[in-house]
Amino acid sequence: MKKLLGVLMTLSLLMSVTACASGGSAAGAASSGGSSGGDSNTPIRIGFFTPESAAAAAADGQSARQSAELAVKIANDAGGINGRKVELVAYDDGLDNTQAANIAEKLSTADKVDAVVSGSYSGPTRVAAPIFQDAGIVMVAAYAIHPDVVNAGDFIFSQSFPGSVQGTAGAKFAVENLKAKKIAIIGVDLDFGKELSKYFKSYAEANGAKIVSEDYVAMSDNDFTSIISKIKNLNVDMIYSANYYAHASEVVRQAALQGLKVPVLGTEGADSWQLLQTAGEYANGLYITTNMNRDDKLESTQKYIEEYEAAYKMQPDMVGASVYDAFQVLFAGFESVGTGDSAALRDYISSMKDFETVTGKLLYYTKSRSAVKTVQIQQVQEGAFHGFAVIDDSKIIDPTNY
Amino acid sequence: MITQQLINGLMIGSLYALTALGATLIYGILRILDIANAAAYLIGAYVGWYIYLSTGNIILTFLGAILLAGGLGVLLQKTVYSPILAKPQVIAIIPLVASVGLFTISNDLVRLIAGPGTKAYNFSFPVESYRIGGLVILPSWILIFALTATLLLILWFILNKTKLGLAWRATAQDSEIAKAVGVDTSSAMALSYVLGYGFAAAAGIMVGILYNSITPALGEVPSYKMLAIIVLGGLGNPFGTVIAGIFIGLTEVLASVYTQIPIPKDAIAFVVLIIVLLIKPSGLISQKNKT
Repeated sequence: MKKLLGVLMTLSLLMSVTACASGGSAAGAASSGGSSGGDSNTPIRIGFFTPESAAAAAADGQSARQSAELAVKIANDAGGINGRKVELVAYDDGLDNTQAANIAEKLSTADKVDAVVSGSYSGPTRVAAPIFQDAGIVMVAAYAIHPDVVNAGDFIFSQSFPGSVQGTAGAKFAVENLKAKKIAIIGVDLDFGKELSKYFKSYAEANGAKIVSEDYVAMSDNDFTSIISKIKNLNVDMIYSANYYAHASEVVRQAALQGLKVPVLGTEGADSWQLLQTAGEYANGLYITTNMNRDDKLESTQKYIEEYEAAYKMQPDMVGASVYDAFQVLFAGFESVGTGDSAALRDYISSMKDFETVTGKLLYYTKSRSAVKTVQIQQVQEGAFHGFAVIDDSKIIDPTNY
Repeated sequence: MITQQLINGLMIGSLYALTALGATLIYGILRILDIANAAAYLIGAYVGWYIYLSTGNIILTFLGAILLAGGLGVLLQKTVYSPILAKPQVIAIIPLVASVGLFTISNDLVRLIAGPGTKAYNFSFPVESYRIGGLVILPSWILIFALTATLLLILWFILNKTKLGLAWRATAQDSEIAKAVGVDTSSAMALSYVLGYGFAAAAGIMVGILYNSITPALGEVPSYKMLAIIVLGGLGNPFGTVIAGIFIGLTEVLASVYTQIPIPKDAIAFVVLIIVLLIKPSGLISQKNKT
């Protein structure tokens, strides 16, 4: 039995290696044809994947997919990129790593895409990244925060700041603005919650605050009653909630209902209209660290918000805005270097500076291809997210400092 | 502090009992683990949401969703489960696999029809919370206790005081002999599904109100956790299920607050199940004490 397993594993490994190799040659073929890539008749093909059918992530999947389609539509309505239409090649990864690997293989071989946007979570994006790297195809991750995504290689970029930056910026706000001294951390038991909490804790403790409790809750668990009861007895002066919107909603609701009146600082995971709906009035006062400033007067931001609301009859969120921006990064690249030369596209993106996006100004890329942006502190006021503060300290927002 | 956590555990436990009661009733008669009961929980929560949104009447919400889910239960029993069970030499895994299929389909149907986003019940109680000394009790918790008690009472009445209940108990003990002596086993089976799916729908609505949120993923955890509860409760024993639900709720809360066990809270139910079955293989309450 063990032998059979061994043989099967070797075979599957061999197959994946050959698949990668063929992916590379397909990209090579695309590059050789790419010199004529300026032909206005051939569309620019952008691959895309997001979790649409995994029930737990489907709302993010929907938001990501809609923003991807909107980005392509707005570009095409404006005459395309250098006169060429943009085509979206989108897949549903079902929040499944194996599925994500299969999609990455297909996008980099059969689909012959010019570049890729990941509209998925850290898990699937980490699996897909090395496949695109081997194939020499540029991928921009919209909102996956795990450092292993960009560590896959020089063709892989992020569009937003990593967990280290966001966690640290949150801690700076907690210690300096909220004057928090005794903090309870509640996080989702995934890369997302663990990564943010790790950096939050490290900065907060180094700057005089004490972390008195840490609870990591599985994505499938929706009950925070007992955790809030416990925290209430610890006399904390702040809760850091590194959760997605459903959990963050329960944290603020339970805290309010149980009479625990302390500020709650959430993260970009809570940046969703869904939190405003489920937490209702209890959301008022909640702070979050995120990348989008809805009060930004920037034309591109307001255009995105308006067009999104008009097209889908719902408010855009962090996930959608980040996906939209990942497309803007690629569009700028294609406009400048055309298609067919992935290395040129990579070099262009690496050298981007002060690029205006919906989720704030992309200041520059680090050597490890992480985007450097300011961190927005938003607060829920009267049932809507509003700008509250900005963390722009270069020591904090540049991920190379960690 | 411990009193508060005991109340929290009782509340969660009652919710578990409510959730697993439906599947227990079905196991009691048909001897099948009906994962699709979690579909009734999910569909009940969504149907309830639509009714509450359009009428604003919570009693109508519960009644409407319970009736609709009960009807769905009978429909599935007549069109899927009974035909499968009527085949000669059916092994127990076949209806189980069918129920997994039904559950998966219902999840996707709900997502496609209602959309993947979260829906909020926005049901507001007249009082936000009750404070007694340092203790906090939320009105939604009282509703959970009241609902579980009411449904148990209704169940006790139907099973012990009605002719249909007598038929149910006879069928549960031995359906072949019951049928041979003229008991209407078909009605008894239908009763199991009406109550089983109806109760699950009530639990779904209750969870929607408690967390003020429903998503198409709502049925995923109950679909497996209720198995631990009904096995622990002695398979097919409604009162055993309530005790098992409360036992698991309390264990989960106390273990997650007072210990540093590095396993997810959801896994605690199964750890408890394994330990109890090792000590008492028939579950907390054995079959003999059945209603």
